[in-house]
Amino acid sequence: MSSDHVLVCDNIVRRFGGVVALKNVSVAVGRGEIFGLVGPNGSGKTTLVNAITGFYPPQEGRITLDGQQINGLKPFRIASMGVARTFQNVALFHGMSVLDNILMGRHIFMKPNPLASFFYPWWARKEEVAHRRHVEEVIDLLQLAPARDEHVDVIPLGLQKRVELARALCAEPRLLVLDEPMAGMNQEEKEYMVRFILDAQEALGLTVLIIEHHMDVVTALCDRVLVLNNGQEIAQGPAREAIADPRVVEAYIGKPRHAA
Amino acid sequence: MFYRLSGTYHTSYEADRKLWKIPTDRWLVVAVLLLALLAPLYVSPLYLGSYVLPWVIWSAAALSLTLLMGLAGQLHFGFAAVMAIGAYASIHLVRFGVPFELALLLSGLIAAVIGAVFGGAALRVKGLYLVMATLAMQYLVDWVVVNVPAISGGAHATLRTPAVSFLFMPVESLAARYWLALGWAVLLTVFFMNVKRTSFGRALVAIRDKDFAAAVIGVDPFKTKLMAFFTSSFMGGVTGAILAFCFYRAVTPEQFGFNVSIQLVAMVLVGGLGSVIGSWLGAGFVLLAPIFLTNLVSGLAAAGWVPVSQNFLSHLPLMIYGAMIIGFLLLEPLGLAKIYDNIRKYFLVWPFRHARS
Ligand SMILES: Nc1ncnc2c1ncn2[C@@H]1O[C@H](COP(=O)(O)OP(=O)(O)OP(=O)(O)O)[C@@H](O)[C@H]1O
Ligand SMILES: [Mg+2]
Repeated sequence: MSSDHVLVCDNIVRRFGGVVALKNVSVAVGRGEIFGLVGPNGSGKTTLVNAITGFYPPQEGRITLDGQQINGLKPFRIASMGVARTFQNVALFHGMSVLDNILMGRHIFMKPNPLASFFYPWWARKEEVAHRRHVEEVIDLLQLAPARDEHVDVIPLGLQKRVELARALCAEPRLLVLDEPMAGMNQEEKEYMVRFILDAQEALGLTVLIIEHHMDVVTALCDRVLVLNNGQEIAQGPAREAIADPRVVEAYIGKPRHAA
Repeated sequence: MFYRLSGTYHTSYEADRKLWKIPTDRWLVVAVLLLALLAPLYVSPLYLGSYVLPWVIWSAAALSLTLLMGLAGQLHFGFAAVMAIGAYASIHLVRFGVPFELALLLSGLIAAVIGAVFGGAALRVKGLYLVMATLAMQYLVDWVVVNVPAISGGAHATLRTPAVSFLFMPVESLAARYWLALGWAVLLTVFFMNVKRTSFGRALVAIRDKDFAAAVIGVDPFKTKLMAFFTSSFMGGVTGAILAFCFYRAVTPEQFGFNVSIQLVAMVLVGGLGSVIGSWLGAGFVLLAPIFLTNLVSGLAAAGWVPVSQNFLSHLPLMIYGAMIIGFLLLEPLGLAKIYDNIRKYFLVWPFRHARS
């Protein structure tokens, strides 16, 4: 595969007991691309993301990031190699403010050390301020300034999802993986989110892998998509074409919630 | 009126991360520090030696434990054993001829290494199993201390602390011992606050709140937890040494038994997990409330106000004490720190009703 692919998944198989959640799935995400991952409920989208980020390593197949094999590595190693993600159910740190949550996104560039904390004025402060500067840029980009000092569990879900996106962006990821970033949002929030993702992608030159149910969002955002059904690829290609594929339409029939 | 957030602007990121952002708070801190420093001048030696001094030292111990339990979310029911290691190590090091300042540092390191080894082994398990594993540490350390005469000087022996001086100040008079203990407790307090505003503290809290989300942003869960065990055990070890040299001055294994570990956990819980002010309040409450209640009840009994049997009377203070702890935990699970915070916020926004920070 060409070197201009950031992420390459090659014949991924993942089983849970008797359930085969992923059957020989292959996908290659190009640099700077927004790649969509769609499919009905339970089709294996999250499982593929979990395989990439190291939570459920695939039993067969190979995953590479810029040519380096990452399957088999622990999640925190994969993260420090430049893969950031958000979760389908928001996974923020409830004991922290919005600002601290986003600062956590800088973790891979920081050197947490009790001695540095002890000698704060001489040691940790410089690092904290430098990273704060970076975080504030992302806060501006995603218009999170008014919520900066709030506790994360008192802000609305739509905002929480944006904070999670901000945290992921702060890691300056080579590959950004978004698992249903618009789940539970109303139309206005969704449109904002699409805007933010496009802005961020443009400003930071991101490569994005996004799971999304809303087809309007998919066609608005994605260059190419992979459609999964029952853990198998049923279509792959430019967004509009893949979605119009008869097999995809068939897989979705009787599932009106995805029409929205 | 004079206690306001408004009118205080932060024009740099440094200023926004100050420990005390409100000018009134800064004055309050200075005043409290001065009062604490001058305590030997206006507090009677009896009170200083039997109430204030132990309170200061146990606050340091509670701070050490709450770094692990409150920030990193790792339960530890054998923390008295960590302090025992620090206490015995420091005494033997000083006897061996190591300068006291260095002995304090080394005893902390020894406690940290042993604590981290146990922690590392215990970290394979979570929750209740972690409690059991730390209990095992308590009993193992107890057993070793009691049964190795080279450490304890024999099963029923007391080990006297040798005379030492700290930075040319003989740790002998009550005031000197108090100042040393106070210095250590203040150092830990400032350290703890600095931990909370730096990446180390955030990583601990991240692991506590959601370990998978922490991993996905590059936090190594095992290493971070191990660092928490190491740091907390270091703090606990030095605190144990301070306890030995400044307060007990003659140590026996019973001073670091299982019940002491439980008391420490109670301090941390009653005060409020992971809170600085809560560690001080919790330690004060757990340590001083029984004494205060005993005095109160016997005073009332002497005045003939408590018409109950003598036997019941002797249990009454403890019963009230237990009821108070349960009451606190039910009414305000976030501990005394939260109650303090509510009061502070009330004044911060008075005459309005809602505050943000
Ligand atoms: N940890 C697990 N243990 C057992 N089975 C699992 C596990 N995770 C996923 N599965 C199974 O794998 C299949 C794919 O699930 P997955 O969560 O990947 O679907 P999805 O495409 O993300 O669906 P949704 O749109 O609902 O998020 C499902 O049948 C699910 O039951
Ligand atoms: Mg999913």
